[in-house]
Amino acid sequence: MITYEYRRAESLEDAASVLEKYGDTARIVAGGTDIMVQIHEKDKRWENLKCLLDMTYLENELRYISEDSENVYIGPLSTHTDLENSEIIKKYLPFLGEASSTVGSPQIRNRGTIGGSIGNAFPASDPLPALVAADAVVVLYGLCGKRSILLKDLYEGKGKLALRRGEFIREFIVPKFPEGTVTGFSKLGRRKALAISRLNCAAALTFGEKGEITRARICPGCIFIVPDRVEKAEKLLIGEKPSEKLFYEAGRAVSDVMIERTGVRWSTEYKKPAVEEIVFRALAAAAGMEV
Amino acid sequence: MERIKVSFTLNGKPCEVMTKPYSRLLDMLRDDLRLTGTKEGCGVGECGACTVILDGKAVTACLVPAPSVEGRNVVTIEGVGKEGKLDPIQEAVLKEHALQCGFCTPGFIMSAKALLDENPFATKEEIRRAISGNLCRCTGYEQLTTAIYEAAEELRKLNKTKI
Repeated sequence: MITYEYRRAESLEDAASVLEKYGDTARIVAGGTDIMVQIHEKDKRWENLKCLLDMTYLENELRYISEDSENVYIGPLSTHTDLENSEIIKKYLPFLGEASSTVGSPQIRNRGTIGGSIGNAFPASDPLPALVAADAVVVLYGLCGKRSILLKDLYEGKGKLALRRGEFIREFIVPKFPEGTVTGFSKLGRRKALAISRLNCAAALTFGEKGEITRARICPGCIFIVPDRVEKAEKLLIGEKPSEKLFYEAGRAVSDVMIERTGVRWSTEYKKPAVEEIVFRALAAAAGMEV
Repeated sequence: MERIKVSFTLNGKPCEVMTKPYSRLLDMLRDDLRLTGTKEGCGVGECGACTVILDGKAVTACLVPAPSVEGRNVVTIEGVGKEGKLDPIQEAVLKEHALQCGFCTPGFIMSAKALLDENPFATKEEIRRAISGNLCRCTGYEQLTTAIYEAAEELRKLNKTKI
C-alpha cells in the first residue's frame, strides 16, 4: 500500500512552496480521478510519494469560466461537469463542452477537473484536442511568478510536462474563434460510458461568405506522443467547400502524418482507417453534415 | 503515521473523525464510521458501487481523499429515507424487482437521488445517463430505469402535497 501525508493548499503561494519543497515526492490532487486510481493500483510512479497536496480548497481562486472580448478563461479546478454545462463554453467552444461530456461517467465528471486532465499528461485526455485545436495558452504559477506558454508546448514527451519545480497550472486562456466558426468532436472508445478514448479528434472550421472554408483547425488525440494540430490536413481544406470527399482526404493526411511521426506498428492496419474515420466525423460534425 | 481530524456534515449531522491521512472517503465511511452501506467494488472509479453525494453531486467515494471532505456535506445510503421509512426511490426499486444480489443497489440509489434532487422531471434518457457510471451484473438496467422514473413521479406528488 502506498501511504503519504496529506496537505491542504491554503493559497497559491502555499501550493507553490509545498511543491518547491517536496519536488517529485509531492503530487497535486484535484478531483483525484486519475491519481487515486494510480495510487490504488500501486503505480511505480508514486512509490516515493510523501505528500498529496489537495488543491480543492482553492476553489475561489481556481474554479471559474469567464470571458472578455478576445478570450475565454478557464480555471483549472473547473470540473468536466462545469465545462459541459457552461453557457460560455457552449457559445464559444462547443467542442470542448462536448468532449468534457464524454469523459468517464457522471461521478467522474463531477470530480475530475480540466487542470488534472491536462496536468496528468495523459495522451488520451478528451478535453486536450479541443484546447490544442483552439490554440489554448496555459498559465503556470510558481514562486518566481507566472508565465504563459502554448498548451501544446507544455508537453515535452510521453507523460512529461515542461513544468519547473514548484510550478502548477494556474489558468487556461483560449482565444475566441473568428466569426463564422463551427466546431466538432468525435471519439472512439470501447463503450459509451467510462470509456477512455482509443482515438479522438477535435476540429474547427471557419467559413467565408461564399461558404468556402477560410480557416481550419484539426487536432487528433491519442495518436502522437505530444499533442499537435495537423497543419498538412488543415491546409487541404482552405478555399474548398465541405464535402465527404474533402473531409476523407483530410483524414488521410492525418493518418499519413501519424505514420510519418510514429512509424508503422502492429496496430497501424487497424488504426489508419480508424483515424481517417474519426477525423472525417469531427469535420462532418463541425460542418453539420449528416454522417 | 499520525491520524488527522476531519470534520464534515454526514447525513445531515455534524461528524468528526480521526482518520489516516491516506484514507479514502470510502475507507473512512466503512472502517472508521462503520457505515458499510457504501460498497467497495472496483476501487478505481469504474463500477459506481461506492457512489455517495458530495455537496449535491454524485461521486465515487473510492476516488476522494478522506481529508478532502473537511467542511463539506456528504450523504450516504444510510442518510436516504426518513424516520425508519424508505425513500420513494428505495420503494420503487423493491416494487420493480430492480435488484438481485443487491451489491450495486446503494450506488444506484445515490446516483438516482443526486439526479432527482437536481431534476425532479428527469426523462428516461436522463436517468440512463445518470446511472451510466453504475454497473449491475445481475438484474440489468431496465427495471432500475423504470423504478427511478416511477420514483420521480412519486416524489413530485409528495412535493406537491407539501406545498
